[in-house]
Amino acid sequence: MLPYVLRRLLSVAVTFFVVSLIIFLMMHSIPGGPFDANDMPVSAAVREKLMAQLGLDQPLHVQYLRYMWGVLHFDFGVPYQSPGETVIQLLSRAWVPSLVLGGLGVVIGAPLGILLGMAAALNRNTWIDYFASTVSTIGLTIPVFVTSMLLILVFAVWLNWLPASGWPQPERWILPIAAYAAIPMATYARYTRSAMLDTLSRPFVTVLRAKGLSENRIVFQHVLRNSAIPLVTVFLPMFIGTATGSIFVEAMFRVPGLGAYFVSSIEKRDYPLEMALMLMITFMYCIAYLLSDIVYALINPRIRMGGSE
Amino acid sequence: MPLVEIEDLKVSFRQYGGAVDAVRGISFTLEEGESLGIVGESGSGKSVSCSALLRLLPATAEVTATKLRLDGTDVAKAGKEDLSRLRGRAAAMIFQDPMTAFDPVFTIGHQIAETIQAHRRVSKREARAEARRLLERVEIKNAADVLDYYPHQLSGGMLQRAMIAMALSCRPKVLIADEPTTALDVTIQAQILQLIKEIQAEFGMALIMITHDLGVIAETVDRVLVMYRGEIMEEGPVQQIFDAPRHDYTRQLLASLEASFEPAPGGADPTPALELRGLSKSYRIRRRAGLFHEYGDFHAVRSVDIVLPRNRIVAIVGESGSGKTTTGLMAMRLTDSSSGEIVVDGKDISGLTPEALKPYRRRMQIVFQDSYSALDPMMTLAQIIAEPLHIHGIGTPREQTGKALEWLERVGLERSYATRYPHELSGGQRQRVAIARALILGPSVLVADEPTSALDVTVKTQIIGLLKRLQAEMGLSMLFISHDLSTVKSLTDSVVVMYRGRVVEEAPTARIFADPQHPYTRALLDAIPATNPRERRQRSFLSAEEIAAATPRYTVIQTGAAPRAEPQLVTIAPDHRVEAYVTP
Repeated sequence: MLPYVLRRLLSVAVTFFVVSLIIFLMMHSIPGGPFDANDMPVSAAVREKLMAQLGLDQPLHVQYLRYMWGVLHFDFGVPYQSPGETVIQLLSRAWVPSLVLGGLGVVIGAPLGILLGMAAALNRNTWIDYFASTVSTIGLTIPVFVTSMLLILVFAVWLNWLPASGWPQPERWILPIAAYAAIPMATYARYTRSAMLDTLSRPFVTVLRAKGLSENRIVFQHVLRNSAIPLVTVFLPMFIGTATGSIFVEAMFRVPGLGAYFVSSIEKRDYPLEMALMLMITFMYCIAYLLSDIVYALINPRIRMGGSE
Repeated sequence: MPLVEIEDLKVSFRQYGGAVDAVRGISFTLEEGESLGIVGESGSGKSVSCSALLRLLPATAEVTATKLRLDGTDVAKAGKEDLSRLRGRAAAMIFQDPMTAFDPVFTIGHQIAETIQAHRRVSKREARAEARRLLERVEIKNAADVLDYYPHQLSGGMLQRAMIAMALSCRPKVLIADEPTTALDVTIQAQILQLIKEIQAEFGMALIMITHDLGVIAETVDRVLVMYRGEIMEEGPVQQIFDAPRHDYTRQLLASLEASFEPAPGGADPTPALELRGLSKSYRIRRRAGLFHEYGDFHAVRSVDIVLPRNRIVAIVGESGSGKTTTGLMAMRLTDSSSGEIVVDGKDISGLTPEALKPYRRRMQIVFQDSYSALDPMMTLAQIIAEPLHIHGIGTPREQTGKALEWLERVGLERSYATRYPHELSGGQRQRVAIARALILGPSVLVADEPTSALDVTVKTQIIGLLKRLQAEMGLSMLFISHDLSTVKSLTDSVVVMYRGRVVEEAPTARIFADPQHPYTRALLDAIPATNPRERRQRSFLSAEEIAAATPRYTVIQTGAAPRAEPQLVTIAPDHRVEAYVTP
C-alpha cells in the first residue's frame, strides 16, 4: 500500500505542475491585460510603472517561474481587484461561506439520497420506487438556479418562513443548503438504488437467506456494505465540487462566497487570483481522488489483499 | 411424519406478457435420513421446487400447493420466526457456484460464525471455535488460517468445503445440495461428493441432491425423481431407475452416458495437420517484497509437444489451471506463445505477421465453451455464420448468405432461423451456430475448447454427435479440450493429459483408459463418477505431493532415454509416453 501511495503522490505533484503550466499559458493567451484602457483609464506612463511593479513586463517564462516559486512558499501574490490583502487572505475570507453552505449541502444531501435509494431498491417497482426516481430525476435535471428561485419563491415569498438571502445568520443558511443538497441527493439516490439492486441480485444474498439470517441483517450488513463500495468513491470528488461554491447559488442567495471570484478573476485578468483558484481546485481534486482510491482499497478485500493494485 | 411433504406444488413466474409455469403439480415426500436425487435438465423445475420449500423464490413467483411442509411446519404460513428456524436448522442448502455463494467482503470465519449466531445463543468466540471445528471436519487442513481468509483467497473446491461446513453449522435435518459439483473439476467433484456422503451418514441427515448429472446420482442417492418440464416423469429406487427405466426421457438420459463412436480413420498424408513443438507460455507476475516489488515468472504452459495427425481427434484433458485452454489458444495464435513452434502443414506459424497469418487462419478454427459470449448479440444468425466468408472475401454477399443458410441446415437448425438473434436460441442451438461459423471456411483443424461443458446432458450428446459427424464428413483434425472424461473416452482417438502446465502422459484413448501409468492420470480416471449405482466405491485421493512422489521410474534400458534428475517424458510403448524419472 505504501509504495502505491507514494507513487500516487508523485503523480499528484506532476499533475499539479502540468495543470499550472496549462492554466498559466491559457490565461495569458487571452487578449488584453489587467490595466487595459477601458478598464482603467490611466496614462501610459502610470500603466507602465504598474506593469513593472507587478512584474508583468517580464517574459512569460520568468513570470511563470516567479509565480510558481512563490506558490512553493505558499505565496500566491496579491489580487489586482483587491490590492489591500493577499490572495490567501481573500480566499480564506471568501471560502468560509462556500465551504459551510456547499459542504453542509453534500453532507446532508448524500445521506438523504442513500436513504431514498435504499427505499427505492427495497421496494422495487412500487410507488416508493417511482417517487424516489421522480425526485432524483427532478434533482438532476432542473438547474440549480431554478431550484434556488423556486425555494425563494415558496419559502421566502409565499410562506414567508425564511429569509430569502444573505449571510451569516444561520437561518439564512437553510435555503442555500437546500439548493446545494439537491444534486448530491439525486445522484446518491440513483447510485444507491442501482448498486443495491445489483447486490441484491447476486447469488450470495440467496445463500444468506437460505442460512436463516434476518432480512434486516442481510440488508444492513451485507447488501449495504457491498453496495457502499461504489458510493464511497464518489463522495469526496462530489464534496470538493460543491464546497468550492456555485456562482449561481451564491448569486441567488447573495452569499459573499468563492463563486463570484471564479468569474471576476477571469474577466478582470486578475492573474494571481485566477491561478490560485485553479491550482487550489486541481490540488483538492487530486487529493480527493487519491483518498477515494485508498478508501476503496480498504473496504474491498479483493483489492486490499491482492497485491498492491 | 415425513420430514418433507410436498403435494401438488405449482410454481409460475409472472413475466412481461404472461406467466411461465416452472413447476406443474409435483408431489413427493422425504423421510428422515433418506437420500433423494432430483435429476433433470436446466429449466425442469428441480431447483425451483426446493427453493419453494425454503421460500427463497423471488416475489415474481406464484407458489401454490395443497401441502408444502418441512419438518412439520407449513412453509406457506411460516412467520418470521418459523422461517428463520426452517432455513438453516430444518434444512440447509449448498449451491452450485461456491465462488459467488459467499459475500466477498467478509471473511469465511465471520460468515460461518454469523450463521451459528443466527440460530443459537452463543458468544462470538464460541461461534468462531465451532466454525473452526466445522472447517476441520470438512477436511480443510489449515482451518485456523482459513477462518480469516476472504472468499477470493480460496479455490472453488475449498470454498465448496467451507460452504458445506456452513451448512452443517446448525445441524440441519436435511441438506439440500443444488448442483454442488457442477462448477468443479472432476477430481474435486469426486472429493466433494464423497465428503457429502460421509457427513450425511455422520450427522444422520436426509439429503436432496439436485443435479443434471446421472453420474452424481449414481454415486450418492437411494431414491430418484426424474423431472422434465416441471413434472415428475419417473420415481423409484436408484438401481431400478438405472436398470429398468420406464419413461422415455429417463432412457434418453441414460443413453447419453453410453454414447460411442467409430474411431476416426486417420489420413493418408503422414504430415500432421498441426504440431506443437516445445510450446511455452509464461507470465510475469509481481509480488510485494517490503517497500518494493519482485518479479517472477509464472509458467502456465511448460514446453509442450503435441502432434495432431490428419483426420483424428486428440483430447487434451486436465484440471482447471493445467494449461489446456492456454495451449489451445496458443495453437490458434489467439494468445502469443513465449517460446516454441506451431507447425501447420509443415510450416511454423508462430512468428508470422498478421497478414502472413491470414491464409492459415482459414485452415484453423475454434469453438468456445460459452456460446453466449462467443456470438455477437447484435448480429443475426445468417450474418454470424457468413462473417468468416466476408472477412476472407469469399464469394458475393448473395453467395455468402446462401452458404450460411446451407450451414444452418447442416448443423441441424431450420433455414428460417437465419434472421434470428443469439438470445432467442437455447445453449445447444447457439453452440450449433458457433460450430457452423467455425466450419464454413472448410478448415482442416478445429480446436474445440470445452464445447459442451455448459450444456445439459441430452443436449451435450447431440452436440458431440454433430461434431463427430462433421469431423467424419470433412476429414477434420480436431483438438478436443475437455475435463469430461466420459466424452473423451467415447469421442477421441488419443489423449494428452496435462498437469500443472506439463504433459504428463499421452497415449491412444483405449490404452490410457485401460493402462494409465502416471499417478495424476490414474487419479483423474478414478474420479470419473460411476455410470451405475452398483459401481459405487470408496475412493482415496492423492495430494500434489503424493502425486509427485508416485511419479514412475524407469531405467535407461527400458526407455532408451538419458538419465536425468527431473522427470521427463519417455516412450514406454508405441504412441504411449509418460512423464517419469529415468535412472541408470
